[in-house]
Amino acid sequence: MGDEIQELRRVVTREDVSAYAEASGDRNPLHLDDAFARSVGFPGVIAHGMFTMGHMTAAVVAWAGEPSAVVSVSAQFRAPVFPDDTIVAGGRVRAIDHDDDVAELDTWVVVQRDGREEWPVKRGAARVRLTRVD
Amino acid sequence: MNPEAAGTVYPPVAFVVDPEHVAAFRDVLGIASGVPPTFVTAAEFAALPEILGDPRLGLDFTRVVHGSQEYEFRRPLREGETLSVRARIDSIRHKGGSGFLTIAMDLVDAGDQVVCTARSQMLERGPGA
Repeated sequence: MGDEIQELRRVVTREDVSAYAEASGDRNPLHLDDAFARSVGFPGVIAHGMFTMGHMTAAVVAWAGEPSAVVSVSAQFRAPVFPDDTIVAGGRVRAIDHDDDVAELDTWVVVQRDGREEWPVKRGAARVRLTRVD
Repeated sequence: MNPEAAGTVYPPVAFVVDPEHVAAFRDVLGIASGVPPTFVTAAEFAALPEILGDPRLGLDFTRVVHGSQEYEFRRPLREGETLSVRARIDSIRHKGGSGFLTIAMDLVDAGDQVVCTARSQMLERGPGA
């Protein structure tokens, strides 16, 4: 109880964002075209919110041991992530549901930009099954 | 967006959990094995065109910002299976010149069982917002 999950850190590159656009099918120019992104009020392309949620979920999967243990995952998208930002996913065990044998996690992603840590760009939650079921 | 489009149910769209597609998704996120939970986003994008193309809804996707996302699994997705993606509009609200849209999608397997429910909250920014 109260255990923290291991932090998962990565630098977001333009190549990551392009690869995510292909893999997810989300080819919104907001993520691929700087001129378009500026035309809608951003300084340049932003990473997909789902890319950052995917990174948050990767930290949960690492803690769970395998993707199939994840029963649910959710996130609120609070602020954009830009190329060259460092995103750090973390979380902690909020409770254990002994009836369902599930751990309930609070999760988050913070951004490090220009040497400063920003407010969480994601806040989320996850439920993880503790006993392996195949 | 037309608030009267709330409750609209869209025709099912087939989505194959293609192992190569899953592998590409895993590679981007650095997940070693299995189907990443957020791979469901690819199924959502497979069903999104019918929602974007719904003239009665009138959603302007160039003004859309993703607000939040939830996935709930009854079981993990299996590589190689074909799922039916059943999309519906849960709710539409307007506040402060912006529109708030909740889309729910059930991924249903060949045995007619719901495998995963995905719920997306989107914000359509109003002109000048």
